[in-house]
Amino acid sequence: MTGNAFRRQSIAGLPAGSAGGLPALTLVGLFFIVPVVALLLRSVTDPEPGLQNYAALFGSGTYVRVFLNTFLVAAVVTAVTIVVAFPVAWMLAIMPPALGSIVFGIIILSMWTNLLTRTYAWMVLLQRTGVINRALMGLGVIHEPLPLINNLTGVTIGMVYIMLPFMILPLVGTLRAIDPMTLRAAALCGASPFQAFRRILLPLSLPGIAAGGLMVFVMSLGYFVTPALLGGTSNMMLAEMIAQTVQSLLNWGLGSAAAFVLLIVTMALYAIQLRMVGARRLGGGL
Amino acid sequence: MKLILAGVLAGLLSATAAKADEMVFTSWGGTTQEAQTKSWAEPFAASSGIKVLQDGPTDYGKLKAMVDAKNVTWDVVDVEMDFAIKAAKDGLLEPIDFTVVPKDGLDPRFSNEQAVGSFYYSFVLAWNKGAVSGEPASWADMFDTKKFPGKRTFYKWSAPGVIEIALLADGVPADKLYPLDLDRAFKKLDTIKSDIVWWGGGAESQQLIASGEAVFGQLWNGRVFALEKDGADVGVSWNQNLTAADVLVVPKGAKNKDSAMKFLAAATSPTGQAKFAEASGYAPINTKAKAEMAADVVKGLPDAHVDGQINLDMNYWAEHRDEIATRWYAWQTK
Repeated sequence: MTGNAFRRQSIAGLPAGSAGGLPALTLVGLFFIVPVVALLLRSVTDPEPGLQNYAALFGSGTYVRVFLNTFLVAAVVTAVTIVVAFPVAWMLAIMPPALGSIVFGIIILSMWTNLLTRTYAWMVLLQRTGVINRALMGLGVIHEPLPLINNLTGVTIGMVYIMLPFMILPLVGTLRAIDPMTLRAAALCGASPFQAFRRILLPLSLPGIAAGGLMVFVMSLGYFVTPALLGGTSNMMLAEMIAQTVQSLLNWGLGSAAAFVLLIVTMALYAIQLRMVGARRLGGGL
Repeated sequence: MKLILAGVLAGLLSATAAKADEMVFTSWGGTTQEAQTKSWAEPFAASSGIKVLQDGPTDYGKLKAMVDAKNVTWDVVDVEMDFAIKAAKDGLLEPIDFTVVPKDGLDPRFSNEQAVGSFYYSFVLAWNKGAVSGEPASWADMFDTKKFPGKRTFYKWSAPGVIEIALLADGVPADKLYPLDLDRAFKKLDTIKSDIVWWGGGAESQQLIASGEAVFGQLWNGRVFALEKDGADVGVSWNQNLTAADVLVVPKGAKNKDSAMKFLAAATSPTGQAKFAEASGYAPINTKAKAEMAADVVKGLPDAHVDGQINLDMNYWAEHRDEIATRWYAWQTK
């Protein structure tokens, strides 16, 4: 998604109708437009032509609830990811480059481990009889195990962990580009560290936050494995619901309609964000 | 040079010949498919010369997509029986060729025109002996949070089992279960909703019980059998055990239909069924299989617990699958 804005910028320099964009357009056409059109067609033709799938979708309290929950989870995950990622990114930005690349390597390395394995590891850590609860109870901090899994807490912890690299990477880029002298100037003018952060660092890092935040939010919307394993049924997300509709109930029309609505809402959100932040700044964050 | 060429050609020819003698068997993976490979596929390949390739896990959406696209790469698929009945109605399955597959001995409960039994199993009440307080004795105990505090685990998806358990616990007699009173079942389930942890797959159910994360739950008897074999400290009650079956089907347009039918004959044979039952703890669907099994294995099968056993009504479920699923997910996500 963010790549789109980036592409628009770089293509802008080419003369209109230039052959340079053709391979890219073909690729986008084949792998993006065609499947989406097929999806749309199925949603209005399966099992028979008409809008009955959309009627069923919006008429069903279940789907509406799952939709709202999906956006709620994505929003919470995005917010927590930003808060956790910021200090890490800042540390990486001001570290000596040699040390920074080692820490960077460790963060990237976590992305190479199988997603399912990482999610199962969180199950072992978070469950009532898991490592965290056992340790806390052993230390006498708590007497009853904390409900850390099969709820929003579990989903948030598991997903934030997986999303962190996608937030840290664009943020580091933005933070590195900020001239450290601006902070020193703020200090010289009598700003407290917090004021310097709020008035100088935060506004300047907004493009990075927006780029990373959008990426995390959009990725979270379609997440499957982590919410399925760490969440409860009342936090079911749309991807799991669609999988169930398509795989088990064989209702492809309804599944397609749900997927299409999610796509439209996501793109609308992206458009709003483009307006608010501006495509140029968003692209510049990467 | 000519010799080498001839050799290469011969090699190519034999490779294509071997390809004609292959077929694909698809099941759910895990310990169940391992047992199916060992008990059916390997001996069948040795005796018939037909190589059986394994694929999985079973995915109903994929099966339908293959049939719709007329590009079927699965020849025999292990599916749940209520799905098989529905799929046959939707025209997704080949009829079974009973001139190749001997009908003699097949349990009529678990076979029909488009499907032969794979194995049958029971939902049983299993518990972690170290975690549960006292000894649960019936499904009703799973709804008694005072006597049995802690999390309880049930099968997550809309499928035969949980609705029936709720109704039995609420006092509905076994012979009055169908048609299912969904309102009553959900009302009963509401009373323990916040104490339920759902399991989505067999391995998850084992993990929940073995770790004590859930103190007791509704499990497939084969998974409890595997836990016991691993030395886990689990208890089990067969009181009102609920039977359901997996069946083997041939998707419409399967490329190796003839081989598939021969495979079905081997899989449902008394020997094939006896071997699989010994490996998995699930029950044979061929009534002659027990004669070939060790006495202590027969003792642990659902067959040995017919007293109070209840057959989940697969025909009812096949007919009301969608309607129940809609209610189920609406309730679950609330």
